[in-house]
Amino acid sequence: MTHTLSSTAQRAYWLGRYLERAESTARLVSVNARLFYDLPKRLPLGWQPLVVITGNQDVFNEFYDEPSEKNVTRFLINDARNPSSLLNSIEFARENVRTLRGIIPRQAVEYVNELYLYAKDSLSEPLSRLRRSQSLVDIPKFTQRIEGFMSANMLHDDHWSFFRLGNYIERADMTSRIIDVGTDNMLADVVELEPFADIQWRSVLLSLDAAQSYNTEVQEPINQAAVLDFLLQNPRLPRSLAYALKSTRNGLRALPRNDQALRRVNRLRRKLAGFNLTEPEQIREFLDEVQIDLADLNRSISRTYFATATKRSPVKKISEQKISKPADKTAADPTHSGQTARSTKAAGKQRPSSRRSVAKRRPSKKTTSSTAEKGKSRS
Amino acid sequence: MTINWRSYDTTGLWDELITDSHRARKGAGNLCRVLAGLSDEELTARKTAAELAIRSMGITFTVYTGEGSGSIDREWPFDIVPRLLMKKEWDQISAGLTQRVNALNRFIDDVYHEQQVFADGILPPEYIERSKDYRPECRGVSPRYGVWSHVCGSDLVRDADGQVYVLEDNLRVPSGVSYMLENREVMKRVFPELFEEYVIHPVDDYPGRLAACLRSLSDVRSPQIVVLTPGIYNSAYFEHAYLANAMSAQLVEGSDLVVGTDDMVYMHTIEGPVQVDVIYRRIDDVFLDPEVFNPDSTLGVPGLMRAWRAGNVALANAPGCGVADDKVIYTYVPDLIRYYLNEEPILPNVPSYRCVEKDQRDYVLDNLDKLVVKPANESGGYGMLIGPKASRAERKKFARQILANPRNYMAQPMLMLSTAPTLIDNHVEPRHLDLRPFILSGAKNYVTMGGLTRVAMRKGSIVVNSSQGGGSKDTWIVDLES
Repeated sequence: MTHTLSSTAQRAYWLGRYLERAESTARLVSVNARLFYDLPKRLPLGWQPLVVITGNQDVFNEFYDEPSEKNVTRFLINDARNPSSLLNSIEFARENVRTLRGIIPRQAVEYVNELYLYAKDSLSEPLSRLRRSQSLVDIPKFTQRIEGFMSANMLHDDHWSFFRLGNYIERADMTSRIIDVGTDNMLADVVELEPFADIQWRSVLLSLDAAQSYNTEVQEPINQAAVLDFLLQNPRLPRSLAYALKSTRNGLRALPRNDQALRRVNRLRRKLAGFNLTEPEQIREFLDEVQIDLADLNRSISRTYFATATKRSPVKKISEQKISKPADKTAADPTHSGQTARSTKAAGKQRPSSRRSVAKRRPSKKTTSSTAEKGKSRS
Repeated sequence: MTINWRSYDTTGLWDELITDSHRARKGAGNLCRVLAGLSDEELTARKTAAELAIRSMGITFTVYTGEGSGSIDREWPFDIVPRLLMKKEWDQISAGLTQRVNALNRFIDDVYHEQQVFADGILPPEYIERSKDYRPECRGVSPRYGVWSHVCGSDLVRDADGQVYVLEDNLRVPSGVSYMLENREVMKRVFPELFEEYVIHPVDDYPGRLAACLRSLSDVRSPQIVVLTPGIYNSAYFEHAYLANAMSAQLVEGSDLVVGTDDMVYMHTIEGPVQVDVIYRRIDDVFLDPEVFNPDSTLGVPGLMRAWRAGNVALANAPGCGVADDKVIYTYVPDLIRYYLNEEPILPNVPSYRCVEKDQRDYVLDNLDKLVVKPANESGGYGMLIGPKASRAERKKFARQILANPRNYMAQPMLMLSTAPTLIDNHVEPRHLDLRPFILSGAKNYVTMGGLTRVAMRKGSIVVNSSQGGGSKDTWIVDLES
């Protein structure tokens, strides 16, 4: 029996997060693209919510003037400047897997490589709508193959626990963000239009691949209360917040020194169990809290298990030792980039939600930076 | 019938399997008969099977594609025709290797203690003081058993007359042993029937022997052993991971370790710090400890030398052991054997000329077109002059280098390395090869059964390095008596 190093545990955890993030992002963009084509052109619905979900609005606003389909999809899919972009997530997953050889089954390592090569090739610019939609449908197939192989073949040891922990924490975070945007009443002006009344919640369900399950499980026309209850509380839906948190707890239970992290998850689960809000404003605040709690949980896990590994300085090029590293500094220490990406997102979450809506409807107005400042002073 | 030994061109050199009169050497008869009995299709099928096995077993080595552009993993190049050595000859070689390594360890221990060898005039102390790998920081340290080089990989070559020579001793961080082990696995998959024809000595006890050797370096009952690797970008990372796994040891990078204020070494685990007793380090001395050596090194562990000097952790190989891994010191090894062990050398050195001594230097400079000139402290074939193949301008340039720093060079006649039949397309051709056995030293000595045979795959080439188009063969130590 060997020990589990902090460094490899950390990489397994981030591998889990990045793979999950890649899959969610692919599904999110692909579902929303299809939905938007259903809407009449005069509807004010834009692509902005997708940027909000990933929590990197500031970065987006810095480089793009408007949230057009072209800009937003590019930002979310293959813009290297967006730390959470699909391609970045896949590249970070690959960098983590490279350092886990001998721990992750070799075949799974190859699958991650294939995913990377596929994504790099099929998502390169210029990206036509046709190619984009085909590729985005394929990405989850790749990630599912990796996770399936690992689940069936890898030793279910500490590294596996950390990998799953990464999966579920990322999933809880992503689910809460997608619901968050669904709650934002961006179609307020047009909901009376009969055929479009439920489109927003349908989009949320599809983004979480939960529409079919909803029909089986709920047997009620799509409406806010029922969808919210289903996505937050359902114990059988793998992408519900309750399910992700329960799995997170189970993952932690298998690990040593878990008291602090377990306390945080259980507190969050109790908070979720007591949820009975109906006002969009309150729901959004609740979801903001969930995301902040998840960020705290992430910090707690890092402190307990990875603290010493995190302190490492990036490996330098030393030619005598024949070390050569990719020039990209993010690749030199991929786990860190992920943490940066997440804290950006968490900071973004702390801004007052009402202001966020304002900024969303009138993106040309430069209100974002001041609200970000306010958000910071609040925390 | 694609292999016809009658038409095999032995090129007038020593061939490991076939004599000048196209007959199989002693012990090689069965092998030659089986190979000659294979059809074209069967040969291709075996070759393909070997390639598939290598791919599915994940045997790779890393090739550097240049600064900044990183590196790629290539599948290990392997030739399916094995190389045979008779057990009787091997026993002799094995004894010779043990003798060498024991003398070299005595020498290193002496250098870092009384330096009796200088006082007795066996070799001048200037050699050591100006050696790139002499570490004054190691003076006075006494590793267990007086052993500094726990894992040594010596390169053997056979000349045209059949004599086996030691070409060099790699005392620092020799690599290749994992490929020796994997080659045997591949061979068993590809030619299972041959293993019925022969009594072939197994090699797969090596990881166990290495683990035992490392354990013997600590007085803890079941010591925590780690393999310290520079990381995945190192060319030998495959081997580091392989050995760690086979020994049930922990594979760590420098950042996984820390030296506490108690001068103990710990590794960071999810359960907290765990004390480490033995480090099989696969990084060079100068990167081991930024507090003592290269301050920019992030591969090492600050304070590691402190912990080692205090006797709280064993390092294999010990820092500073490279002082004997110097091509000029090499020329003294026969003298060192006589001096420390009071024995005659069992294995000969390749005749060598020291450029630092005037008459020998003059001979070297007059005969550059016939000699191979090597720098004292390079490995992997870097910085060498192969006289007969060099241009006049290259020789001139090298002559100037020798005159500017004679201490740094030695020269040897160009050996006609022996060959062995190697599968090229669908027939066999002779290719030059060498052999790297591994010698373990701890509480006791151990020599691998054979070693890693490296083959220069290009016709006429004597460059066997895998980074430069070299391949490898399984090496069989065959016992005819039992």
